[in-house]
Amino acid sequence: MARKRYAMVIDMRRCIGCHACTVACKAEMAVPLEVNATWLKIIEKGAYPDTRRFYLPRMCNNCTDAICARNCPTQATYKRDDGIVVVDQHRCIGCKYCIASCPYDTRFINPLKNIVQKCFFCQHRVDAGLEPACVESCPTRAMVFGDRNDNKSEISQLLASNATTVLKKEMETNPNVYYIAADETVMSNVEKGINYRTEGTITKLRL
Amino acid sequence: MDNTDVNVVYSVQHQLPLVMYIGQYFFFTGLSAGSFVISVIATLLGRKEFKPIGKITALLAPILLIIAPLNLILDLEQPLRFWHLFVFYNWTSPITYGSFLLTAYPVMGVIYAIMVYTNRQKAAKILGILGIPLAISVHGYTGFILALAKARALWNTAAMPTIFLVSAMVSGIGLVVIIAAARWKWFDKAATVEQREKDKRLIIQLAQFMAYIIMLDLFLILSDILVLLTAHSDAYQAGMLILTGNFAPLFLGVEIFLGSLVPMVLVLGPTRKSMKAIVIASILVNIGVYAMRFVMVIGGQSIPLS
Repeated sequence: MARKRYAMVIDMRRCIGCHACTVACKAEMAVPLEVNATWLKIIEKGAYPDTRRFYLPRMCNNCTDAICARNCPTQATYKRDDGIVVVDQHRCIGCKYCIASCPYDTRFINPLKNIVQKCFFCQHRVDAGLEPACVESCPTRAMVFGDRNDNKSEISQLLASNATTVLKKEMETNPNVYYIAADETVMSNVEKGINYRTEGTITKLRL
Repeated sequence: MDNTDVNVVYSVQHQLPLVMYIGQYFFFTGLSAGSFVISVIATLLGRKEFKPIGKITALLAPILLIIAPLNLILDLEQPLRFWHLFVFYNWTSPITYGSFLLTAYPVMGVIYAIMVYTNRQKAAKILGILGIPLAISVHGYTGFILALAKARALWNTAAMPTIFLVSAMVSGIGLVVIIAAARWKWFDKAATVEQREKDKRLIIQLAQFMAYIIMLDLFLILSDILVLLTAHSDAYQAGMLILTGNFAPLFLGVEIFLGSLVPMVLVLGPTRKSMKAIVIASILVNIGVYAMRFVMVIGGQSIPLS
């Protein structure tokens, strides 16, 4: 059997912005308050009356050439054979270099465990033959998860028959989350100003 | 399509991963590397009047480099797991180079300081020559830490390690000048008038050397910003953040004006013979370099990625 390569396709024509994926992820992964492994970005485009809302579900891209795995000093972040990028929570020292080097802002410090976490396509569910929690919770089937290397899977048929794009192609990370019908202005970074919590910037004793 | 017609209705806030501990660490390793290089230059030239400076700096380098990694360990979310760095190393990560360099360099520095203080000139010279590449890599690799974090446009430039090295030299010499001047003022009273005059001339020379390196630093910053402003859109945004955005007062006001231009005028201008002006210039230089670390570390992460 060929090696598996897990990927996700998100059809933005189908997404209705219901936040079910965000909630399912929070519940499944026990993600604490203030941080998110999966979230939704809502963007309005155009001026009245010619306007439209776009919903962009965001999670870790589990990149094929992951910068985080390359930069992790302890190999706590590594790629599984099936392409999922995971964090070994017993090995992570919390140096946060991976967060600083991720172009997608998908990693976070778990304030309860004091280690870095992120979305890893619900590896425990995938290993058990289930779909990730966000995919299963999606009411419009906007998210599809599966093995890209299997020609008969729904995901490889979707990828073959649709125009798809990825986030920040210029970063050369080869993401494994693909978007159908994603608008260029929605995918690119349109946020102006500072989008970070700035308290404790100078020094913050976390012992 | 013009971006003015696009509004972000909802998005989540993210954490600022690296706080000022990292900037302070860069500042302290910079001071250490700078003073080590000055010490080795003084030892290699071997002239008698350089000896006091060679001794001060030989002691400063290892002390500063023992303070510096403390910042790193405090910054870890799991400080007690720092030993993972040595056991589970990853050769593609610049932090791994750092964890070994940061172990080798203070050991080297301590042995070198012992050689200098016990007047074993030949051993000190050999160790010094061997130590300079080590000192340069200890500080140069911190530039690579930022440069290889590809996501941040302000960091991801090949000039970063060089900028860090040059600003390290500037702040290191600044610190040496402050300490040498304090010694000249309060602890050098027993020396003859002639000797005091010699020491003063040496401090002035050192300050002028600092001013020339500030010029090199300004050139590197200028070339970095020019390229940022003409490169891709994220880089342009990064350039504008430090030129006109939230970090402009700190970058243009403190780093460039107070930390570079004013000291240069004080050291090379009409006040070049005044000890007070030189000391003020050295203090300003260190404030400027600290501001530079802040702008780089915090400013670099302030550009939203999503």
